[in-house]
Amino acid sequence: MEIFVAQLLNGLSLGSMYVLLVLGFNLMLLVAKIIQFAYPHLVVLSMYVCWAVLRYTDNMLLVVLASVASCIVINIAIEPIFRLLAKRHGLDINVSFVVSMSMALLITDVMSHLLNYGYPIAFPSDWVGKSIFSSGLIAFSAGQAYALFGGIAAVVAFFYLLYRTRQGRVLRAISENSLLSSIIGIPIVKTRVLSYGVAGLLGGLTAVMLARLLGSASPGLGDFVGMKVVAASILAGLGNLKGGLVCGLLLGVAESMAIGYLAGSWSNAIAFMMMLIIMLIKPEGLFGIRA
Amino acid sequence: MKKNSMLRVEGISVSYGPVRAVDNVSIEVNEGEIVVLIGANGAGKTTLLRAILGVDKAQSGKVLFLGNDITGKSTDRVAKSGLGLIPEGHLVFSTMTVLENLQLGGYHNPREIDSNLESVFESFPVLRNRLDQTAGTLSGGEQQMLSIARALMSRPKLIMADEPSLGLAPKVVSEIFDILRDLNKKGYTILLAEQNAKKALEFGNRGYVMETGRVVLEGPTQELMSNPEVRHAYLGSNV
Ligand SMILES: Nc1ncnc2c1ncn2[C@@H]1O[C@H](COP(=O)(O)OP(=O)(O)OP(=O)(O)O)[C@@H](O)[C@H]1O
Ligand SMILES: [Mg+2]
Repeated sequence: MEIFVAQLLNGLSLGSMYVLLVLGFNLMLLVAKIIQFAYPHLVVLSMYVCWAVLRYTDNMLLVVLASVASCIVINIAIEPIFRLLAKRHGLDINVSFVVSMSMALLITDVMSHLLNYGYPIAFPSDWVGKSIFSSGLIAFSAGQAYALFGGIAAVVAFFYLLYRTRQGRVLRAISENSLLSSIIGIPIVKTRVLSYGVAGLLGGLTAVMLARLLGSASPGLGDFVGMKVVAASILAGLGNLKGGLVCGLLLGVAESMAIGYLAGSWSNAIAFMMMLIIMLIKPEGLFGIRA
Repeated sequence: MKKNSMLRVEGISVSYGPVRAVDNVSIEVNEGEIVVLIGANGAGKTTLLRAILGVDKAQSGKVLFLGNDITGKSTDRVAKSGLGLIPEGHLVFSTMTVLENLQLGGYHNPREIDSNLESVFESFPVLRNRLDQTAGTLSGGEQQMLSIARALMSRPKLIMADEPSLGLAPKVVSEIFDILRDLNKKGYTILLAEQNAKKALEFGNRGYVMETGRVVLEGPTQELMSNPEVRHAYLGSNV
C-alpha cells in the first residue's frame, strides 16, 4: 500500500509534466496545424538555460523568466519555417512532423556537443529540495510538490485562457475552422504565432518544474520525453485537449507503477505496450480526435 | 441620384486546374443597393464571392473596395476592412456557443460588442434565448440566422450573402429575405448570390446573370424579369 501511494504521488507529479507538454503540443497542432516534435527538446534546452542561470544567481524569479523567455523566443523563431513549408506544401502535418524531427535532432546535437561538454547537467541539491513529507516508504519532495501543484496551476490557467478569454476564443475558432475564421476577419497568422507563444510559455514553466522534479537533464532527455508526449497525445486522440489531460497523467502513473512494482527499466516498454493495445482497440484514441 | 461605388470587380478570372470557374467577370455594387447574382449550379457565384474576399486567388483582374485595391490581400484583412461574407451552407463554429460565435463576429470592435449584440437581437430575437446553446445543435434555419448575425457583429459596409436560403423551408426563406430587406433599409449594402432566381429578382435592385463562369446578362431586376431568355431559363416560363 505504501509503495502504491508513493508511486501514485510520483506518477502524478511526473504525469502533470507530461500533461503540460501534451497541451502545448496539441495547441500548436490544433491552431497552427503542425506536429512540433521538437517541442519537448526545446523544453529540455530551456532546462539548460535554467541550469546556466543558476550558476550566477539562485533567484527563482530570474530563473523562471529566463526559462520562459528562451522557450517562447525559440519557439516563435521556428514559426516562419513552418509557415513557409505550409505555403509550399499546403498544411500537411506529415511534412511538419518530418521537419520537426530534424529540428529535434539538431537541438539534441547542440546539447550533446556544445553544452557542458555533452555531459548531463545536475541542478543544485537544494533546488530539488528535501522531502517535505515522509512516512515509511512514502516521501514527497519539494520538487515533486512544485511539479504537481505548479502543474495543476498551469493547467487551470491554460484552460482559463482558452475558454474564458477573447484570445482563447480566437484560438479555438481557428482550431475548429480556419477558413471560416479568416472569412470573419480573424487574423490567422497572428493567432498562429500566438499559439506558438502560449506553447512556449507552458514549455518554459515546465522546464523549471522538470528541473526541480528530476534534478538533472541530459541531451537525450528530449527524445525520451518527446516520445512520451507524442504517445500520450495519440493515446488521447490527437488534438484532444481534455483527453491529453487524462492520458498525460495516466502515462505518468503507469510509468511510476512499473518502476515501483517491476524492474524500473521496463517502464518505457510498458508505456508503449499500453499504447499499442489501446491503438488496436480504439485507433482514434481513447477520447477521439479533436473533441 | 449620385451613386457611390462600393465594390468594383474588374475582369477577374479564377481557375481550378483546367476548370475556369470565373471567366473575366466584372460587376459593380453601389452604396445602398441590393445587387443579386443569379445562375445555375456551378455557374461560378460562390467562386466569384470567394475571389472577391481573397479566399480563392484571382489569376487576373482587379477588385476595388471603397476605392482601395484589395486584389491579392489576405482574407482576414479584406474582411476587416468591411466586407462581410455570409458563406454558403450556414457555416457556424459548431463546437462553440451562440454567444461565442457572435463575439467572434465582433472580434475587431470589442468595445461595441454589447451594443452590437443588442441591435443584432432586434433582427434575430430567436438568438437572444439561445446564447448558451452549442451552435452545432441549432436547426439549419437558426444556424443561417446565426451566420448572418455573426456577419453583422462586425458592422460590415457590404454584406455578401451566398445562397442564404439553401436547404431551408419556404417559411424560413421568406423570413430570411425579410430580414435582409430590413437590413438594407437600415443602410446595409447587399450583394446576394442565389439560385432561386425568382426570389432574388423580386428582392434586388440590379442583377447579374452568370453562366459557366461568365456574366451573360445584367441590368435592373425589373428588366431582367421581363427578359425572355431569363424567363425561359430561370423563371420556368414558356414565353
Ligand atoms: N475547390 C474547387 N476545386 C475544383 N473545382 C471547383 C472548386 N470549387 C468550385 N469548383 C468548380 O467551379 C465551378 C463553379 O463553382 P461554384 O461553386 O462557384 O458555383 P456556384 O454558382 O456557386 O454553384 P451553386 O449554386 O451550386 O453553389 C464548378 O464547375 C465547380 O465544380
Ligand atoms: Mg455556390
